[in-house]
Amino acid sequence: MKTYTYKKSVALFKRAAKVIPCGIYGHLSPAPLVPATDYPFYASRAKGARFWDVDGNEFIDYMCAYGPMVLGYNDPKVDAAAMKQLKSGNCITAPAPIMVELAEHMVDTIAIADWAFFAKNGGDVTSYALMTARAATGRKKIVLVRGGYHGVAPWAQAAGHPGVIDEDHSTIMYVEWNDFEGLERLVNEHPGEIAAFMATPYHHPTFVDSELPAVGYWSRVEALCKKNGIVLIIDDVRCGFRLDMRGSSEYFGFKPDLACYCKAIANGYPISALVGTEALKTAAAKVFYTGSYWFSAVAMAASLATLKELKRLKAPELMMARGKKLLDGMIDIARSHGYTLNVSGIPSMPSVYITDDESLMLHQDWCAECTKRGVYFTSHHNWFISTAHTDADIKKTWNVVDEAFKVVRKKYGM
Amino acid sequence: MNTDLVKAHLNLNAVLVNLEDLVVYDEEMAALSKNWALSIQFIVRNGPRAHITFENGKCTVGRGRRKRPSIILYFFSPRHLVRMFDGKAQPVLLKGFTKLGFLLKDFPKLTARLEHYLKPTPELLADKKYLALNTRFTITTAAFAVRELGLLDPVARAISSHIGNGVVLMKVNPEGPAAMLRFQDGGIEAEKGDTAKPMSAMLFRNLKTANDILNQKLDAFTAIATGDVMPRGRIGMVDSLSLILDRIPLYLG
Repeated sequence: MKTYTYKKSVALFKRAAKVIPCGIYGHLSPAPLVPATDYPFYASRAKGARFWDVDGNEFIDYMCAYGPMVLGYNDPKVDAAAMKQLKSGNCITAPAPIMVELAEHMVDTIAIADWAFFAKNGGDVTSYALMTARAATGRKKIVLVRGGYHGVAPWAQAAGHPGVIDEDHSTIMYVEWNDFEGLERLVNEHPGEIAAFMATPYHHPTFVDSELPAVGYWSRVEALCKKNGIVLIIDDVRCGFRLDMRGSSEYFGFKPDLACYCKAIANGYPISALVGTEALKTAAAKVFYTGSYWFSAVAMAASLATLKELKRLKAPELMMARGKKLLDGMIDIARSHGYTLNVSGIPSMPSVYITDDESLMLHQDWCAECTKRGVYFTSHHNWFISTAHTDADIKKTWNVVDEAFKVVRKKYGM
Repeated sequence: MNTDLVKAHLNLNAVLVNLEDLVVYDEEMAALSKNWALSIQFIVRNGPRAHITFENGKCTVGRGRRKRPSIILYFFSPRHLVRMFDGKAQPVLLKGFTKLGFLLKDFPKLTARLEHYLKPTPELLADKKYLALNTRFTITTAAFAVRELGLLDPVARAISSHIGNGVVLMKVNPEGPAAMLRFQDGGIEAEKGDTAKPMSAMLFRNLKTANDILNQKLDAFTAIATGDVMPRGRIGMVDSLSLILDRIPLYLG
């Protein structure tokens, strides 16, 4: 099988590094790709479940733009809705009617939603959720799960990161995932001080396995928050619409007060949303929060089309089934080479690690070997499955996976 | 947090350790120290203790107290020690009055040479031999400083407390220099040298890249993309280590 090279990507990156801090910043930075030189840096085009880099290499994409791509790149229905709206108007002095239509659709779709507020990125709405909780409760403190990701605002970044100061965390407290007793202890130690508990529906940190909620965890958390007047915020930015159209909280059987959405909400068009219960609508209204492009009607039209199409396809169930098929096959292939492939999380957003080498160097090499053969796997972030991944994609993936195992076996042995 | 206390620990336990390699890799210093047979104990009131031993042409630097040192240098406070390293104060000689000549004449030659290697200029770094030694000392200082900061700096302590068990290797490819940090159940140990099976590694393409990264002249994100820096293994460990490395200039400017 031919392996890829990335001459044009490298050349473009060198140009970029001269005029853009670290060349490519943020979550698309090549830094977490190991080794980075085995990965493409720039994409020239994308369609369905595939993208092509600037060197002309074709990839089956299991990162889906780190989540936003859910129906396949350039989905015709979504793009048509966006283009239609663009012709009517995008950022205008007054909002477009599509905004109301989208809010109504989200309220009809998401179980806990009595209202919807739109912004651009996940971090916009996680911050807005905290402000809303503080406005509603008159309290300062926020409890987060250690290792949880809620964006890049200073309060959401871990201490010690450049640009983050101690005071950014002065009202933030942490508990471990699934540690209900730890949360209960914090609540008892700070009576009347905690505005909100924010967490993802299940724990999906980078670099390690994902963890599902323990039996009874969420119902106990929900009851504890209700009893103590703490706003329960679910950060559904990554999981949203990949577990359950009604919200990932429905999948796990609990009801938060606020839920944050982004990624899969508009198949790549820039929009995020905070939805909430009627009880918090007045507090949400009182918080002044806005952005230059938050009323962009094109993204709203794309979002409405995306949500309708996801519903029509029963997308969460479809992606779960495709993910399961892909992963079951990969586990079998790994076993045939004497390796153990551990899958955690949920099949539409799996965290995958080869467990035979504690340092993960073997795993990194295997992901890189797959990528160089056209199956884009990152080694330290959960993957994403879209509705556009086909059986043919899965079959080709299995072939590449098989060859990559042969390559790493030669290097590492058993 | 007492900044002088952190600086005192860094100077004694992360900077002085380079004397071990200075008498190996600098021929003049090797010749100077080859017949030395004595030991120096540093005692800082309300601060760290460290000792240096010269024996059979070898230098050994250690934490804490040693038995029967030839010389004892006492400092009234961490600040006093920091001022001495800045050339603005003198220690109190508690023991070793017969070694006064060594302390006033010979030992300063060694420390001056170390200072020369630890204060690079673009002109000095253009010299390959200087670059090699400066990089070696910078990697060693960085590794040992991470250990001290992980104990004393609140932010570094918080970061290191979440680093999993295992060895993180910092190494210039292909043949070093290298240093290791061993994280084990919340404890940290630093040592010079290489290991075949680290839990994670920060590998530098060459001396120049290592020098630029560790002296904050090149951002790691760009260097990783170009392959000049290659993180391997448990990337979360390397990520956390980088955050602690970023804190060294707060104390050793």
